[in-house]
Amino acid sequence: MQNFSYRLSRAVMSNRKLSVLVIALITAFFAWGCRNVELKTIFSDLLPADHPFVETFKDHPNFGNPLTVTIMVKRTDGDIYNVETLNKIWDLTRDVDLAPAVDHDQVISISTEKVRYAEATPFGIDTQPVMGDAPPSGPEDVEEFRRRVDKAPLARRFYISEDGTATIITATFIERLLDYGETFEYLQGLVENARDEHHEVHMAGMPALTGWVYRYQQQMLGIFALTGIALLACLILYMRNFAGVITPITTSLIAAIWGFGFVGWLGLAIEPLIMVVPLLLVARSFSHCVQFTERYYEIYLHVGDKRKAAEIALSVMMAPSMLGIFTDAAGLLLIALAPIPAMERFALFCGFWAAMLVPANVFLSPLILSFLPAPKNVRKITGMDGDHGFHAALKRFLGHIAKVTYGRAARVTTVVFLIITGVSVYEFLQMKIGNPVEGSNILWEDGEFNTAVAAINRNFPGVNTLEIVLEAKDPINPSRVARQAETIQTMSRIQYALEHMENPPEATLSFSDYLPEANRLFAGGNPKWAPLDPTNEATLAAVGAVLFGTSPKAFLHVTDFEQQNTTVSLWYKNNKQETVDLALDQARRAVELVGADHPEFRVRLATGTIALQQSINDTVAQYEYVILGALNIVILVGCSIAYRSIVAGFFLLIPVNLANLYLGAAMVEMGIGLDVNTLPIAAIGIGVGIDYGIYLLSRICEEYQATKHYDTAIRAAIMTTGKAILFTASIVAIGILPWYFLSDLKFLADMGLLLVMVMTINMVLSIVVVPLLVWLAKPYFVTRDDLLVGESVDLSQYTEGRAMEEAEMKTMAAAQ
Amino acid sequence: MHILKFGKDYTRRQFMNKSAQAGLSLGMLTSLWPEIARSADISKVYPEELLSIEAYTKGKIKTGDMIDANNVDVVKDLLDDIAYKQVKDMGRKIRIVKTTTDVTRMFPHDYLEATLRNAGKAKLDSTGNVVIDGGDPWIGGNPFPDAKDGLQAFANITLSWGRHDQTLYAVKDWDISPSGSVSYQYDFAWCEQNTIGLLNNPDGPYWQGKKDRNRYQSVWFTSPNDVRGTSFLNEWYYDQTQFPDLFGYLPAFKRERRFPTNQRFEPLVPGVTIFLSDAWAAGDPMLTWGNYKVIETKPHLGAVSENWAGDDPNWEKPAHGGPGDQTFWLSNMELCPEVLVVECEPTGYPRAPVGKKRVYIDTRNMMFVAYLTYDRRGEMWKSFEPAFSLYETPNTKVMDGDHVHWSWGHFTCHDIQSNRMSRALKAKKITGGYESGFNQGDGIHDQFLTIQAIRRLGA
Repeated sequence: MQNFSYRLSRAVMSNRKLSVLVIALITAFFAWGCRNVELKTIFSDLLPADHPFVETFKDHPNFGNPLTVTIMVKRTDGDIYNVETLNKIWDLTRDVDLAPAVDHDQVISISTEKVRYAEATPFGIDTQPVMGDAPPSGPEDVEEFRRRVDKAPLARRFYISEDGTATIITATFIERLLDYGETFEYLQGLVENARDEHHEVHMAGMPALTGWVYRYQQQMLGIFALTGIALLACLILYMRNFAGVITPITTSLIAAIWGFGFVGWLGLAIEPLIMVVPLLLVARSFSHCVQFTERYYEIYLHVGDKRKAAEIALSVMMAPSMLGIFTDAAGLLLIALAPIPAMERFALFCGFWAAMLVPANVFLSPLILSFLPAPKNVRKITGMDGDHGFHAALKRFLGHIAKVTYGRAARVTTVVFLIITGVSVYEFLQMKIGNPVEGSNILWEDGEFNTAVAAINRNFPGVNTLEIVLEAKDPINPSRVARQAETIQTMSRIQYALEHMENPPEATLSFSDYLPEANRLFAGGNPKWAPLDPTNEATLAAVGAVLFGTSPKAFLHVTDFEQQNTTVSLWYKNNKQETVDLALDQARRAVELVGADHPEFRVRLATGTIALQQSINDTVAQYEYVILGALNIVILVGCSIAYRSIVAGFFLLIPVNLANLYLGAAMVEMGIGLDVNTLPIAAIGIGVGIDYGIYLLSRICEEYQATKHYDTAIRAAIMTTGKAILFTASIVAIGILPWYFLSDLKFLADMGLLLVMVMTINMVLSIVVVPLLVWLAKPYFVTRDDLLVGESVDLSQYTEGRAMEEAEMKTMAAAQ
Repeated sequence: MHILKFGKDYTRRQFMNKSAQAGLSLGMLTSLWPEIARSADISKVYPEELLSIEAYTKGKIKTGDMIDANNVDVVKDLLDDIAYKQVKDMGRKIRIVKTTTDVTRMFPHDYLEATLRNAGKAKLDSTGNVVIDGGDPWIGGNPFPDAKDGLQAFANITLSWGRHDQTLYAVKDWDISPSGSVSYQYDFAWCEQNTIGLLNNPDGPYWQGKKDRNRYQSVWFTSPNDVRGTSFLNEWYYDQTQFPDLFGYLPAFKRERRFPTNQRFEPLVPGVTIFLSDAWAAGDPMLTWGNYKVIETKPHLGAVSENWAGDDPNWEKPAHGGPGDQTFWLSNMELCPEVLVVECEPTGYPRAPVGKKRVYIDTRNMMFVAYLTYDRRGEMWKSFEPAFSLYETPNTKVMDGDHVHWSWGHFTCHDIQSNRMSRALKAKKITGGYESGFNQGDGIHDQFLTIQAIRRLGA
């Protein structure tokens, strides 16, 4: 490999212009692809593709439709039965109907004609909207409105709160036409305008949640800019020369163009939320480049020739750099094992980007460095100017740290780590899967969206539904299954069973709830006619009464347009995991009671926000360990080959898995559950964290060859490579930490904090635990001098060569 | 080489000038209605490029050609936006037929006679209703054959929908889902009886002296079984500011239901995309809408001739296009030399989901050829497209007295936002044995157009 890497390095550096041209052409190709890059949320892609709940959702997207926005208007000093509030609701509803992509047939409030009351009169059944053709203009109108509401039981249950102080407007949107950002800004404008001293107005629903994420994109870009500035400042302070600053920036920029261009050419949309990871990749690119540049400076100091120094640096750094990048890319690509389309796209995008750090970083860095002027502060950076300054102080500090990893102190350190590990294991076992908050974990608990969710949950059955679907076996059944007696009776039995369980749902609703009232009214108005005869004739008659002169769109939340499939909706107070577990358990028991298989239909679990949340949690729980297991295997194989020792592979895996364990313990302490947002963190943590171990272990091996003593080898490695690790981990932490303090997106803050934690833990473990393990085990591979990833090089042969070349040149010149 | 006397630019300039003028003047080389009254032929009213699609498109499209996605851009300016999208993106095809210059082929004979006979007698009173001298209601035919504004053009459509004293349409309807499958299929009968402007009434233009009514209209479903007998009755007042009374009848309960008078933006039964408001592009009393304006006059493609499938025993025809190859009828369209594009808003419906409608009215017979609704954001919502015809083919014909019967043959109503299509045709006969017919006389009222009648129909 060394021979190969040497030959390859020589080939690249001997044809510098050609190499640069090739990279420039590839960059131009990907830059052209960048014009197709699209940042957008595709809701259905956030769901695991093969989960039975998601299959149910995709088969019946209208049941518990997540594309529904709920706006609640609450009177703070009385009830809604007054001219001012009712006018506000009228206006707000009309304005919501103007929202982009709204489905006009599915805008419902107490002011729309869809919320009706009915009464039997001598002239027939008179059905009228509860609010007339205009909002009430005086006390008499208000009283008439109240009288009508009293005759509309479903309106009272679902559209006006029990205490009469609040009402809701619901609007469903057409996904094909929906631009979350545009629609959200429009609706949020309405909500803000409608608020005053007497009225609270809240908005919830998935389009609103996504809208908030879109709104925070601008802020996110600002924070990313801050991160970029912080990274740059660190780089300038550390390097203090032109080449050392320009090289990482250029290589990182080119890698970014390749990454974005790649998804642009593939036409893959990028989920805005995951943009935090590409930023991490920029930081990683900086870090790899800094490692390389430092080594280049060391070599340049010896050989005194930029091109030659770059060639040698490329030759010796190629293997460890590629191994480090390989682990980064593997960690990201293996996230694709989780069958969530958005995660698959994320893995492809970020994995490709990470992999492209090999050509765009490993190979381009020496090319750029060889063209740029040699820095004047090389001696200072490499510590050749004597034992003073920041760099020297850092070395001394690390020298003290090194002492805990060998000798007698090692035993104490071992015991300390064993205790920490034991406690972490206990904490880790308490790890919760899923959402520990009410509302969305993407936003802060006291943010506007989660406040709205809590307020709506307090006043109404809520925004969290679980849907039990009754699905026709024959989708074109001429009898239309949703209109059949057995279907209606089965739904009623499911509802009855659920409502009589311990901790029942807040509310239940199915198409069968609409039928008794219609039956009563059309049969003359006497309440005794409300119950339906369990016959197809009676059921069909009641269905006819309900749908008479009405679009089936008005009932799309309970039956599909063709009325073949139907649903029982269950509302639960919140979407915390214990509630989700309870809801699913209750649903399963109810379905067991009525039986899942019927002659004309089957009962399917489940869709709605609660089921979809659970589908993600199930997938996370299932694939978290699959991904980590696969990653461990890939890294074990890669590292074992590189070090020609399976023991070395295990040596490197121990600290990164410990880091993952500690991170899990910290998440439990912080109240962060394991979900789809935190899923990538562990994989990234292991993929990225192992770099540190590789660099340090390689250096220990190298130093051992020089001293043949473990303690001095460890100390030397920590003081040199440990310093670079400390810097690169710090640079990432400094860049990412502002996310936690500045972001209104809790997701970004959590990601920032977790990434800082995982990088810091990995850094500490690589500097302490890797040498500690070497000291305790004293493995054979450390003593070998034929490792693929050894960074050692005898620079004297290059300086001798230079002297010989100079002598030959002089001879040739004399001869001419 | 054939030299056009008036190029396309000439007609375009003429239409631009006409659109810019305050009052309408129909016709181009000469006034339209005096020429129709004189000769019933419009050949001298418009230049050749407005009477021949071949001349208009400079030979790119010829009579007999099929318009499809490959050549629709040639006639894009002759189609409304939804029709263009249907052809361009959804697989719809349109066959081009010869432009009708003999205007007698675009009317029921009696209606044209009345239009000519009563020309100049109509005016709008202070409320906007059409009256004759003395303030009585209209007496038959188009009240404003040379309409000067949008409201007058609408009066021509609204006062007599089917242009017969009585009609019964036996209708077969298919409602197509976005995936191209049939969601619902209905057979229903649609019955109209005018009470003013009568053409064949021995007692004059008003039915039993009911000058305060405009029409009775009912619809009842005969298939499938779950809606059989479900029926609706509409009673229109002559005063176009009044909402019609609307009753429904559910046979299973043997009870009628009174609907909110302004509930006209909902389908009658599940699955259809047509609202009461959409009927004949003038499904509501014309003064319950407002802000009428003619936004443009232009040539247009319209299905106004050769659209009767009389050679089929039940007058049925195949469908094509869309995901299941059954979304559209194949319409025969001709170049209509001049249409009025009229817009109006539902000012009398504070809760209307519709923001405005745009109706394309053929100036030759003042019948609509296309009709679009827009939502309140101004985005296209629905298209209602009829197809009219004389009821004759080379092999058969339906006579209206001594003349060939004229009526509609099929229509489509396409909700472009949810991509649901309702397409219907006038069949000879539907389930239940009801047959299409016209001018049945007084008896039709008691048979189909009272509350007792719709109860009986549901029995």
